[in-house]
Amino acid sequence: MTTSETKVLNKRDLMKVFWRSFTMEWTWNYERQANLGYGFAMVPILEKLYKDKPEEKAEALQRHLEFFNTTPHVSTLILGISSAMEEQNSTQEDFDTSSINNVKVGLMGPLAGIGDSLLWGTLRIIATGIGTSLALQGNILGPILFLLIFNIPHIILRYICMMGGYKLGAGFLTKMQQGGLMDKVTYGAAIVGLMSIGAMIATMVTVNIPLSYGEGDSAIIIGDILNGIIPGIIPLLFTGFIYWLVTKKKLKTTVALLMILVIGIIGSLTGILGI
Amino acid sequence: MLQAILLGLVAMIGNATFLAGTGLLDRPIVMCTLTGLVMGDVKSGIIIGAMMELAFIGAFSVGGAIPPEMISGGVLGAALTLASGNSPEVALTIGIPVASLALILKNACKIFILPYFVHKADQYAKEGNGEGVSRMHMLGGFLYFNLPLGVFVATAYYLGNTVMSTVLNAIPSFVQNGLTIATGLMPALGFAILASMIVNKKNAVFLFLGFLLAVYLNIPVTGIALLGVVTALIIVGIQPAQVSTALAGGDEDDDF
Repeated sequence: MTTSETKVLNKRDLMKVFWRSFTMEWTWNYERQANLGYGFAMVPILEKLYKDKPEEKAEALQRHLEFFNTTPHVSTLILGISSAMEEQNSTQEDFDTSSINNVKVGLMGPLAGIGDSLLWGTLRIIATGIGTSLALQGNILGPILFLLIFNIPHIILRYICMMGGYKLGAGFLTKMQQGGLMDKVTYGAAIVGLMSIGAMIATMVTVNIPLSYGEGDSAIIIGDILNGIIPGIIPLLFTGFIYWLVTKKKLKTTVALLMILVIGIIGSLTGILGI
Repeated sequence: MLQAILLGLVAMIGNATFLAGTGLLDRPIVMCTLTGLVMGDVKSGIIIGAMMELAFIGAFSVGGAIPPEMISGGVLGAALTLASGNSPEVALTIGIPVASLALILKNACKIFILPYFVHKADQYAKEGNGEGVSRMHMLGGFLYFNLPLGVFVATAYYLGNTVMSTVLNAIPSFVQNGLTIATGLMPALGFAILASMIVNKKNAVFLFLGFLLAVYLNIPVTGIALLGVVTALIIVGIQPAQVSTALAGGDEDDDF
């Protein structure tokens, strides 16, 4: 049945997938990661498309329980593409079903690259910056703005990805990669993320070195000298040191956190570091 | 007792972030605020939340890595600190070990309980039972960790409250100061992890640009993020030819 009229899904069906996509990481597991979340989101579409074809429905359900992982907030882009492809598959006899998962697999890595730097690296950092600066003064607007600044753009983006992914269908991946658009978006997001991180190292990492050299009024405080060379140089160097430990020495996050606690206590005991 | 149960519920709301689009409900800044509400001191809860948020800024899930379980760390850290009347920094000393401990619990649940639901879902899929798949997802997420986390937090608070207060009050002042110092250093870890995700030889210079703008011109973080957007648009826009080909390709395909 290969006719020009292949649209079976309507906006309501897509909205069901959109809402269900919010639970993407609810059953995140080590074996196949967000696979069950993905399958869960696809259920309404598959139930509709393969209503009278139980065997094809079973195949499709299994297809969407394969390994899946990407930034959850933009997973709707792939869900939209999968929806379009399943729709085509249900109406065309000669559709290559293996292409559905191939597109999924091909897209989730690059999408996670963009999504992680955009959502985790940039948007969350902006929300944290504004939220914590208010919250440190005990202002209730801190946590509220924190949630709103992250979630309003996130939900809009999730919606655009859903509808856009469905509209573009399977051709999306090739188009993005041919034009180098993917690289450009990744590079652009990296710029925003890194500039924010640089700014936050300067403003949110605090190190005081009250250790002084000499006596009385002529005493020279080491921290002041270092800050005179480049303000904030100590936080920057300290972050660089931690970066080196985490990337080159493969230090675990928890170990690094405990190590910082110990540094703080030793610094306080010896008087090298101050509040 | 009632407080313990309410704290368990707060932790369950935090974990429900994974039902709500991974929308940061689980972050310390939110969890500690709600904990403050339960403990009757919202303002201190918010302040503790901000401190913990900065300490845990690098703790988030990227590419399949599971971060420390900061929900229980946040809730128990804030609750025990508030109950004992200690200063906010103390919340970190409780929060970090608790978060590491609870991560072990979480991983145990992921290894021993969750696979049952995932495999049951496979079975339903094979039978073409979409509703069964959906049920395994909803039920699985709730039973494998949401409920256990609530029980864990409630029990730990109920049992730990009196003991912790005595222990916390015995902490010498140089340790308290050390904790404050560590609180200031903590965000460095988060930024290091964040940077390691994004940074390469080509783009590293932008981190320094952001840093220098902040220290010399005193531009706040939001301003620098916006400058970053502009910079990104300028730099990516220098080679517009490639982008327009990609977009033109998009138009052709809309026909089917």
